[in-house]
Amino acid sequence: MINPVLLIAIPLLFAFLSVMFKKADKGLLVLAVLFNVLAAFLLKETEVVIGGWKPPFGINLIADQYSIFGLIILNTVFALSVFSSFSSVKKYSTVLLVSLAALNGMMLTGDLFNLFVFLEIASISAYILSTMTKKFKGTFNYIILGALGSNLYLLGIIILYSTVGTLNMADMASKIHLVNNNVLLLALTFIFAGFAVEAKLMPFNGWVKGVYGNANDLSGGIFASAYATAAIMMFGRIFTNIFVLDGTLKTIFLTITVLTFILGEIAAFSQKNIRSTLAFSSVGQAGLIATLFLSGLSGVAMMQVANHALAKLVMFTIAGAMYVYAGTDNIEKLQGLFKKHKLIGFGFSVAALSLVGLPIFYGFYVKIFALSNLFKINSYWIPALILFSSLIEGIYYIRMLAKLWNPGEEGKESKDEYTTKLSLENTFAYAVLAVVVGLFILYISYNPEFITQGISNYLSNIAGGM
Amino acid sequence: MVLVYSMVSFFNPYWMEKVIHPAAYNLFYLLSLGGTLGVFYSKDFLTLFIFWELVVWSSMFIIPLGKSRRATVVYYGISTIGSFAMLYALLLLNVKYGTFEISTVINKLSTDPKMATLFFFLIVMAGLTKLGIFPFYTWLPIAHGNAPHTFSPVLSGGLVKMGGFIAFLITAVLPTSKVFANHLQILNNPYENYILMILGAISIIIGTLMAIKQDDAKKLIAYSTVSNSGYILIGLAMVDQTAFAGGVMHVFNHAMASAAMFLAFAAIAYRTGTTKISELGGLIKRMPVTFTVYLIAIISLAGIPPMSGFASKWLIYQGLLRKGNMFIAFAAFFGSVGSFMYVFRPLAGAFLGQLSPKHKDIKEVPFWMQLPMLIISGLTILYGVYPGLMLKYIAKIQTSLNLPAIGVDGTKILTPNGMWDSWTVTLVFTIGFIIATILYFVLPKAKSVDLMDTYTSAEFIHNPDLYHYSSNYYAPFERLYKNHPSVEKFYDAIALRFKELGLLVKTWFFNENPAFTVFWISIVITAIFMWGDKI
Repeated sequence: MINPVLLIAIPLLFAFLSVMFKKADKGLLVLAVLFNVLAAFLLKETEVVIGGWKPPFGINLIADQYSIFGLIILNTVFALSVFSSFSSVKKYSTVLLVSLAALNGMMLTGDLFNLFVFLEIASISAYILSTMTKKFKGTFNYIILGALGSNLYLLGIIILYSTVGTLNMADMASKIHLVNNNVLLLALTFIFAGFAVEAKLMPFNGWVKGVYGNANDLSGGIFASAYATAAIMMFGRIFTNIFVLDGTLKTIFLTITVLTFILGEIAAFSQKNIRSTLAFSSVGQAGLIATLFLSGLSGVAMMQVANHALAKLVMFTIAGAMYVYAGTDNIEKLQGLFKKHKLIGFGFSVAALSLVGLPIFYGFYVKIFALSNLFKINSYWIPALILFSSLIEGIYYIRMLAKLWNPGEEGKESKDEYTTKLSLENTFAYAVLAVVVGLFILYISYNPEFITQGISNYLSNIAGGM
Repeated sequence: MVLVYSMVSFFNPYWMEKVIHPAAYNLFYLLSLGGTLGVFYSKDFLTLFIFWELVVWSSMFIIPLGKSRRATVVYYGISTIGSFAMLYALLLLNVKYGTFEISTVINKLSTDPKMATLFFFLIVMAGLTKLGIFPFYTWLPIAHGNAPHTFSPVLSGGLVKMGGFIAFLITAVLPTSKVFANHLQILNNPYENYILMILGAISIIIGTLMAIKQDDAKKLIAYSTVSNSGYILIGLAMVDQTAFAGGVMHVFNHAMASAAMFLAFAAIAYRTGTTKISELGGLIKRMPVTFTVYLIAIISLAGIPPMSGFASKWLIYQGLLRKGNMFIAFAAFFGSVGSFMYVFRPLAGAFLGQLSPKHKDIKEVPFWMQLPMLIISGLTILYGVYPGLMLKYIAKIQTSLNLPAIGVDGTKILTPNGMWDSWTVTLVFTIGFIIATILYFVLPKAKSVDLMDTYTSAEFIHNPDLYHYSSNYYAPFERLYKNHPSVEKFYDAIALRFKELGLLVKTWFFNENPAFTVFWISIVITAIFMWGDKI
């Protein structure tokens, strides 16, 4: 039995220690990351009251199946990302530890204001992480938008606090019907807008291209899988558990998320660089997952969260590695790269195909569930649009894969002589990552219960939980 | 299930010809083979779809090994349009009827004509995209023409025919003529089927005209596939006694013929390294076996007795004429005439005529490459002389679908309009062939002229290819429709628009200046306040 507080406290403690013992910072990082993975797997459903104040007055941490599921994914991808890109950690151990603590805190907290605090800590460490590649314009953009988003969110919960007088999530959910409609609209809009910045919903996500598009192997993996998971899971918690939407507001929010995944995929279609393609694809996926959450399909959305986190972890790490070692991530210049690094190519391809949702990969399983469940709630346009966006997504991933595997000019036989001169270094770690995650994706596509177990537990408890 | 099995048996002999070329694509080749078989054996729609997509993505990794990376993207894009339409329909059906099983779903659909119309079109999309019917034919020339030489026959002979299977499922297994009986009828066909027939007719015409233009033999065969898919679709969409049998039989015949043609050109490319007709010529002397195989294949493809292609085309014409579909019949006859033109071009250009000096030393391909080609040719002749062998199968299929079965009596095919005895015709042709051979040996021989044996006023010939008579072979004819509208351009335009929209999204919403995003955030928040008043 592990106290969920430790998931936040240990990385935070180690972060302070790593400032004091500069020499041992990497060791501390590894220890904390390993501990968190272990703890996430051992975590049982529980609720912890912090500081002796009982909720709804004090702050509590909630470890239900939902957050445990999120924590397992979050900590696993974080650990994989750190280990496979260990050479890029350099001086960022402290920041990584702080961000790990904050992300875990976001997943665990049962208090809206505490969520804001962790969100801020996570954002600040993200700003620092995004400077890894010395592209400060993107970071600047991110800081402004992130600050705006956090403040909008804060404004939203202030409004609610002044009317309902509580910040506890469960308490809020039970009292929300007391709130005047107009006030609730105002508050929800601000909360939505604030979270949309972090969850990458259009048009709140102007920072994504600058940050994701310039990520290196480490920050790419952490942003696209760990941060994205935490942000979208919290989005899901707020808009499925606490505030249940219906009517016009739901339609408007759904329109925003649907537009996000369509426009995101179209934007990705027009990109030439791998990382910016992946960045827009992340936007699209965030929109897709948010759509599923808003439609009330938490289970499917969680499955897609897992799928997306695993796939993007591999793809972004490899794309970042391409940038770090080959100096470019332009597809044309990297033709045939996977011929040199077959195992990495294998992982990348499996991840891409799973993300697109082709059969025998896990993504297909998710897609079938998503579409069937959408049909069950009598929604016929969203499935068609999901398929449309997934068509575009497929086209640009296939284009990318075809070029990365098969060098050659258009109209000539594919031959080795066209293969790029560039190559990757440190391939062992990336290859291990690619193969492990690739095989894992294949494994869960044959044995989907491995992941869905937790989700179905959560869904069966949903009436009693929260 | 019997019908599914019998369908498979049509394809199996075709798959046997795996040509020896050690390449990394074996894995995907086998995956796509397994997937194709899976499609035909699957009992429920979900399994069918999974195998279907398995084939798509495994073949998708093979195509870029050839000449073009773009081909894969086009192939994937178009076939996914179809398969996603199908997936949409299948899942909707599943939610509505609670099952994926083909027979149950079809039964329930039969009592619900309104739904059936919707699903008919959605599912048939998958078939159309795979068959390469207008307006989805664009992937065929680019993918077939650029795929590795040994994979082109698989694409054309096998994967394309999966589309035929879907069209078969949706037009025949779902008894369209009964389900849509109360719908608008055009020339005795429900309008749903008639639309398919029109699309088939357009494909025949486009495929034929485009095939005549091609200089690359593989692209030419690919366009001929488009036109023959049109025949198959017309036959299947008729769902009657004769044309339907012809359509099903044509699935097999065309698979054989196009596989043989592609293999012949794979053999040529193996020796010469090119498939451009104008760079070849006179290969009959060097590669006689390949020539024979190609000859038999094109005779079948053009629908000349005694090869099997005649029987199936004849049955389709019978069906068309009986129902009085003049327009469709016109397209079918046009395609038949045109097919003489386009199949003759590689024959004359690559095999007959003068040998190009750079190909003086080539030899026939090794025996293991000849064998599959010979097997296919043998089957073509066999089913041409005894079409009854296959029509018996088809009659079984028709009985299981409650259609009037095609009448077969030994080598005779009986239809309401008349009968056809392939044995007599074969006999006549054989006698004609013997007479021609005798004449060839008896009459004085023509002098064979070398390509370089020409009068050039002492000019040196820099590029002998230009002197080859097959360059610009049908130039006068092509000029007739030079400025044709093209679906390819339309698709390219769509892709370009998407790209532009993407860039627009990027500059508007993902600008480096954060003020843009702040602006959008305020706009959206205002919008939510204005319209989101009810919760």
